[in-house]
Amino acid sequence: MIFVGVSLAGWMSVQAQELSDAAKVQFFDQKVLGILKENCFKCHGAEKRLKGHFRVTSRKGLLEGGDIGPAINLNEPEKSLLLEMISYKDGDHEMPPKEKLPQEQIDILTQWVKMGAPFNPKHEIAGEAEKVLPNTQVNERTRAYWAYQPIKRPAVPQVADKAWSASAIDAFILDRLNKAQLKPNGPADKRQLIRRAYYGLIGLPPTPEEVQAFVDDQSANAFEKVVDNLLARPQYGEKWGRHWLDLVRYAETNGYERDSRKDLIWKYRDYVIRAFNEDKPYDRFIKEQLAGDELPDKTGDSITATGFYRLGIWDDEPADRPLARYDYLDDILRTASETFLGMTVGCARCHDHKIDPIPQKDYYTLLSFFSDISPHGKGGTNHVPINDTPADRAKHDAKVTAKQQNEMVLTGKISALEREFIAGLAKKHPELKIESGPKGPRNARVLPDSIAAGQEWEYTTVQPAGNWFEIAFDDSKWKKGLGGFGTAGTPGSQVRTTWNTKDIWLRKDFGLQGVPSKLVLKIHHDEDAVVYLNGKKIIELKGHLSNYMEIDVTQASVSVLQTGRNTLAIHCRQTGGGQYIDAGLTADTAATPAEVLARKHGAEVLGAARYAEWVRLQKALAASQAQQLTFEIGKAMAVAERGRQKTWVLARGNPQLQGEEVAPAFPQILDADEATIPEGYGNGNQTTGKRRVLAEWMASKDNPMTAKVMANRLWQHHFGRGIVRSSNNFGYIGDEPTHPELLNWLAAELIEGGWTLKRMHKLIMMSRAYQMASSGQSAGLKADPNNDLFWRFDMRRLAAEEIRDSILNLTGQLNLKMAGPSIYTEIPHEVARTASRPGAAWGRSSKEDAARRSVYIFVKRSLHEPFLASFDWADTDNTCDVRFVTTVPTQTLTMLNSKFLNDSAEVLATRLQTETKEERTQVSRAIELATSRPATEADITDGVKLMNTFKQGGMDANQALQRFCLLVLNLNEFVYLD
Amino acid sequence: MANMEKPMNTFCGQTSRREFLHQVGGGFTSLALTGMMAGDGFLANQAMAADGQTPWENPLKPKNPPLPAKAKHVIFLFMYGGPSQVDTFDYKPKMYPLDGKTIQVKTFGRGGKKNGGRVVGPKWQFKQYGQCGKHVSDLFPHLGQQSDKIAYLHSMTADSPIHGSAMLMMNSGHVLSGKPSLGSWVNYGLGSENENLPGYVVMLDPTGGPISGAKNWTSGYMPAAFQGVTVNASGTPILDLKNARGMSREEQRTMLDALNKYNSRHLSDRTDNSNLSARIASYELAYKMQMSAPEAVDFDQEKEHVKALYGIGDRRTDDFGKKCLLARRLVERGVRFIQIYSGGNHNDANWDAHGDLVKNHSYHAGNTDKPIAGLLQDLEQRGLLDETLIVWGGEFGRQPTAEYARGTGRDHNSYGFTMWMAGGGIKGGVSVGQTDEIGSKAVENRFHVKNLHATILTQLGFDPNHLSYFYRGLDQRLVGVEGAEPIKQII
Repeated sequence: MIFVGVSLAGWMSVQAQELSDAAKVQFFDQKVLGILKENCFKCHGAEKRLKGHFRVTSRKGLLEGGDIGPAINLNEPEKSLLLEMISYKDGDHEMPPKEKLPQEQIDILTQWVKMGAPFNPKHEIAGEAEKVLPNTQVNERTRAYWAYQPIKRPAVPQVADKAWSASAIDAFILDRLNKAQLKPNGPADKRQLIRRAYYGLIGLPPTPEEVQAFVDDQSANAFEKVVDNLLARPQYGEKWGRHWLDLVRYAETNGYERDSRKDLIWKYRDYVIRAFNEDKPYDRFIKEQLAGDELPDKTGDSITATGFYRLGIWDDEPADRPLARYDYLDDILRTASETFLGMTVGCARCHDHKIDPIPQKDYYTLLSFFSDISPHGKGGTNHVPINDTPADRAKHDAKVTAKQQNEMVLTGKISALEREFIAGLAKKHPELKIESGPKGPRNARVLPDSIAAGQEWEYTTVQPAGNWFEIAFDDSKWKKGLGGFGTAGTPGSQVRTTWNTKDIWLRKDFGLQGVPSKLVLKIHHDEDAVVYLNGKKIIELKGHLSNYMEIDVTQASVSVLQTGRNTLAIHCRQTGGGQYIDAGLTADTAATPAEVLARKHGAEVLGAARYAEWVRLQKALAASQAQQLTFEIGKAMAVAERGRQKTWVLARGNPQLQGEEVAPAFPQILDADEATIPEGYGNGNQTTGKRRVLAEWMASKDNPMTAKVMANRLWQHHFGRGIVRSSNNFGYIGDEPTHPELLNWLAAELIEGGWTLKRMHKLIMMSRAYQMASSGQSAGLKADPNNDLFWRFDMRRLAAEEIRDSILNLTGQLNLKMAGPSIYTEIPHEVARTASRPGAAWGRSSKEDAARRSVYIFVKRSLHEPFLASFDWADTDNTCDVRFVTTVPTQTLTMLNSKFLNDSAEVLATRLQTETKEERTQVSRAIELATSRPATEADITDGVKLMNTFKQGGMDANQALQRFCLLVLNLNEFVYLD
Repeated sequence: MANMEKPMNTFCGQTSRREFLHQVGGGFTSLALTGMMAGDGFLANQAMAADGQTPWENPLKPKNPPLPAKAKHVIFLFMYGGPSQVDTFDYKPKMYPLDGKTIQVKTFGRGGKKNGGRVVGPKWQFKQYGQCGKHVSDLFPHLGQQSDKIAYLHSMTADSPIHGSAMLMMNSGHVLSGKPSLGSWVNYGLGSENENLPGYVVMLDPTGGPISGAKNWTSGYMPAAFQGVTVNASGTPILDLKNARGMSREEQRTMLDALNKYNSRHLSDRTDNSNLSARIASYELAYKMQMSAPEAVDFDQEKEHVKALYGIGDRRTDDFGKKCLLARRLVERGVRFIQIYSGGNHNDANWDAHGDLVKNHSYHAGNTDKPIAGLLQDLEQRGLLDETLIVWGGEFGRQPTAEYARGTGRDHNSYGFTMWMAGGGIKGGVSVGQTDEIGSKAVENRFHVKNLHATILTQLGFDPNHLSYFYRGLDQRLVGVEGAEPIKQII
């Protein structure tokens, strides 16, 4: 008992080993136990809980430790984790969590640890779960982790509320709410609901008319009709495709050095949008992206899908090339494992995963599926043909056959009419004889231009006689020279005879065996030119060109063309700068003379109606013949393999430190069968088939992760958060599912529904949970402020694209044109100049194109479109599963001051003014357009009042309305959804 | 290496973190993504805000560093393109006579790896300055006089001798793209003392941004709120600060008051949603920002002799001088991190002297020497140098040998180069580390870019190995998972 009552300073001065065991226990009982009981026991063993699988209530528990290792180090006590934790030196390791212990208590515990952490067995609480298997190994415990369990459809709970038992989703939700003694919100207002559904499926708001129709529709399936309608719209693919593009870190430049463009990569974006619109089953969607080139039924689309492998960043000039290759593959592996599997396999590149049961070897066995992918490169290096399959050939052949048949039918009908015409003509115009001359080719160069070879023309630069353009004019005194005529250096020219005076007159004869049915003039003129054929002015051209252009002159020429000699005459006039003239004629000489005569006399001989029919048939035939059905090989930026690369486990991720060689295999924790690569699984002998094996495993209904991960994403983008909030990470450090049973049920439903997504959308949206109001309720706010249990529908701010598209939509400028190369918005000079080549940083699109949906804006890694960037656009270098939602004043500056917003306000004001001159109506219309609800009296009064204030300050009505429109675009209600 | 003594298999202690978050009622929208900073209640406060009871907090609200801080602000003078060490601050007397001689030396630049070449002797003479007697080249007659304030780091090394990746390395600590920049880390860790100004400001060269543009001041995987904001030293300082159509403050006030009415009505039956009130508040912040930011760039308040100190008014130094002066004014107004680029665009528009070294370096040094010296003096006389850390340097240095058969051009060199620091608790008049006799590589006290970053964070009051941001299942750090020590010799 000698130590009782001794001051703390005394304790500290005493060496631990000097104490007897009994004294140590006494020290524990009197000094330590109280501290542990007070601060640690509750979570670490005294009750049911065993946080971190760490037991403080027994010496054994302390020595064994929990998830992050032994708490007490008997050999080097001062390095004990427990002391580290209570010292609060390391923000990641602070215990107890509430606040740091008083220093005297820390000193006591330090002393106690140094004496070997004696523990009085009388006070031990042993518990059962003494031995904990680490979660970083593949073992019984980790195999039992919820995420790695096979997908099994759970029984739907029975709930008493009939309204909440129609949908299984609702039963799961209500069951949890009931247990927590919470009540779900009632249904959302119809206007809020339709707005939610529109933004949720197509990323755009309903028109006021669509809202009203829904409000008025009292039928039981009114909402179902809305959902079906939206799912069928092409804008659905644009909205949901963008969610996918976030995951695969879609961008159109390589991110390094000069941040070069990846030509044709936009075809991947279009593929994704198309896939969603076609409701491509998700398993197929995975297979196409991972192995679209290796699938037995591959298509151009499936090859385009493998652009997936070319989406990441790559360094043009890496300092360390072997490392750069692994970085490239690593980026693919990380993206694929997080996107498809919700697993952070990338963390195991340098060592075993520190949290999840993913050994380093798993990283490299997974990497070896990708090891033969050819390196990235500039220009067309990664372009591959996308339509060169037998199926594509067959499809092409079928088109050709159909075209030929169509033309045969048309020709038959035309011939019948022409026979009738010839017979009639003979009666009415016996003087006209129809020659049965030979048919020429379709594109005869009856008067060649001088691009390839100089053609001799007669010319003069001295004003000739007035009839110089007639066939009969005598040009024998004119000079002869090879075309074209002009001064060297004129854009697009091929000068062979210098012409540097003001005027030039040119003549050239050409012969025709029959009268052509079509005549095309190919001409390059700088500047004004007048062209005559056989004495008739057939065209007058102003200004200058910078290259040759083709003009159909058939109509103008048909009355003067003749067999035998014809004369083309041109006068060109120069005023300044470069100068040039050259021309040629191409004729369609395949027409019969009957055709030519029919044009002149058809109506007279056949009558108006039958002549019109003949013209229509001729046009249809010409249109069909104009179609060039050559088999062109299209290209896309997509995957290819080169060579056969071995894969080793790399110590510390270092390419120089090759360890064990590995073959393709799946992560062990998922208990998959061995990966075997069957013969003939590749794309001919160009690829190994490894990726197809991986794709089939990932897209299998037996994969425990895939369907869960995707079902969670569907839920996430409807409800604003996933059932697992960390939707790319289902591992131990990820968030636990708030509704694990529901998640399983949805995953099972996804698989059993053939992996189609539209069906899932409808299932989710038809639930009462989806249709709940977003308003707060005191019980819910108190018990579950984060809405973990879904007692309400969470409000959300619109995403960056939705805000921009909504502004364009509101002003009536939105251009819904789909697909094709990306477009550029107008960006401020201040943004362009941040690039190392300010002039070349950004492109320019027409006003119409610049008003297309945001998903089509060019994605440049080093220069994010500034409007989208300010509203938390997805990071382009890493897979992005959840976007940030930040509120910062720079966004406000954009919304108030930017040119885009102020231009939009002006357009909106103009729109309102064309609709009505009445101020109150203008205000209420603007409010309704922006919020999908009728304006209240207060809305109208405040708006009119604001405009009046501005007008009293000297503004005209139009300016005042523009200011009000700017206000409307800034409403919280415009950018937040209930 | 105290940080390495942490228990081996803790992996950043996420288990405890997750539980912690659950305790504080975590789970707001971006919880899984939002990082958490050691010893700071930032996230806790943000998470609390989701309950609708606690007021929303600006992510850039000022925060105290966990450790005592020497510096409150950083001004990073980025000599983009890579200044040559042997022609600036790394005095190599034995190199002069070697000029024109072919020697064996390992180099690695954009022209690949080489084993020798023709020496280009230093093209300027060096003079000794100050009490410390530091040798500084004639390129910097003004800066040389400030040597007693400066700690020279002659043994810097980086991972890449190629602009794009080397820039990312210097700015974000990693040659791979997608990581937050140094300024974002500071912004994230400290917030901004002045809510009316951005916490992280970037000023670019008139010829354009550096290679990779905005990637150099990106917030990477952190929210965009932490990224650098480009600011002009003249005209409208910040993008969209002025209304595109012109709007007086009175008009704007009228409009914002009306907007507030609408937004308040909307809020009235959604009071539990703090995001809505945050957005309402952001309009008032923006309103104030439009007042404060132009005031910060209004040099009319500065005395003529102060402007002259920075070389403002002289054709050559006017542009960089204004930026340096603006940097001081921003420091006075609480901005945490300011980066000024000397050089932009490509080739000789920056320090990338592949062709004519003399012309290139004379030009860029001539533009910046006086303004930087002026900045050091001005900060000192205002008592701000103690709390303001100045960093000078490029993404790498240059080789001792010629790049081509003729001429003085030097290729890139990341094996060894010089940077310097001053103020913010850094010792003055010292030189640390050495390159070999021709400046080809660091041979003594080699420091990596990560050590430089660690030093900056340390001076700001952080343990560089603890300032972390949780992303992709990992506690990410500026200095990487392996950590880095600050350069103790100069602290």
